[in-house]
Amino acid sequence: MPGKKDNYRYQFLAKKWTDRHREFQSKIFAKHEDSFKWFTDNSKQLVIGSLAGIMLLTSPILDKIPQSISSVSAQVKTIDKRVFLIYDLRNVLPNEVRSLTPEEEKNVSEILVRNVGFNVVSELDGKRLNTTYGIIGQEQHLSRFSGDNMFTHFDSSDQADKYWSYGMAPGLGAFGYFTDLSGTLTQQDIDREKYYIAVQTFLAPGYDNNTKDYNDFFKYRKMLVINPQNGKAIVADIADAGPSPWTGKQLGGSPEVMNYLERFDGSQIGAVLYFFIDDPNDTIPLGPVNL
Amino acid sequence: MKNKFFYSHLIEITDISLKLKDVNLSDDEKAHLTSLIEANIHSIVIDTVLSELSSDDKKTFLKNLVSDNHEKTLEHLNSRIGKLEDKIKKSVEDLKSDLVKDILDTKKLS
Repeated sequence: MPGKKDNYRYQFLAKKWTDRHREFQSKIFAKHEDSFKWFTDNSKQLVIGSLAGIMLLTSPILDKIPQSISSVSAQVKTIDKRVFLIYDLRNVLPNEVRSLTPEEEKNVSEILVRNVGFNVVSELDGKRLNTTYGIIGQEQHLSRFSGDNMFTHFDSSDQADKYWSYGMAPGLGAFGYFTDLSGTLTQQDIDREKYYIAVQTFLAPGYDNNTKDYNDFFKYRKMLVINPQNGKAIVADIADAGPSPWTGKQLGGSPEVMNYLERFDGSQIGAVLYFFIDDPNDTIPLGPVNL
Repeated sequence: MKNKFFYSHLIEITDISLKLKDVNLSDDEKAHLTSLIEANIHSIVIDTVLSELSSDDKKTFLKNLVSDNHEKTLEHLNSRIGKLEDKIKKSVEDLKSDLVKDILDTKKLS
């Protein structure tokens, strides 16, 4: 039986060779992008629905990795799928971060639906945000109930170690506490805080004409948030309003959301896509999306 | 190679497999690493070939590749690329050297 030391060697090689393969894929696509695009546009007889699909041609790996072995194997497949998502999005997103045109939103929405398997839209029930593509900043933890503090906030010491440093926001979220009392805190409440985003609800078209209706709509509304640079996607909920327009940011993410998306504040600030999830029966769970 | 592609007859990975034997791996781990070796070889061969083709020939090549007709693919490539086999072998040998070096590097891991 291979010992722990040998497994270490396996992990080393698996990571190194997976990274190398990703680099090859990126290089091939960048060098020969025109040919791949042409092929996608002219291969109606093939079941290749996207530019990313054609990338499968350069990778026989997807159906060849043993299913049973390890999380590393699953990770490799996830990475490959994310590579496709990144390429597809890169093909339709503008070079600068700005509000997308209706056509661009439609293209992005189609790509996302194809990749995540559920319906995501830029406009839901006649309501939309000021943008679907914006700069995301770092938010703090929100108080879930009266008396919630840094000592009561975390499920485990691991979580505390990882997320303590972000601190607790001094005020409440835009919709108040998630529950009235600590004893009534449900898993849904916990997840709603853990995976929350703050969006500029107050800049939504039509907001000023019917504030209550809009606030009811936005409260804990589920959104798919995607980092287009690494293909990581998470189902988040709106639990706060902000940031102020003068910050230059369009939305904010909880420590858990930012950590998963690998987005940072400050000099490394970056953009995300955020689209409403059409989930009338509330069947899509909050948290990271496995592509 | 376990899977057949238009270049499979040119590729031999027994030497890497033997090096991998020095690392004590489970069967699943070996299978996974072997699939990664093949995936990397596939990518570098595709890149080598595409880099030698004109825009129109790239399109023909991609069509042939998708059709899985290895003979037709090879015939087309041989008619367009001089010393095709040597070029593919050279690219793959360079890659294999890097992969063997990676395997040797695992011995430095504590």
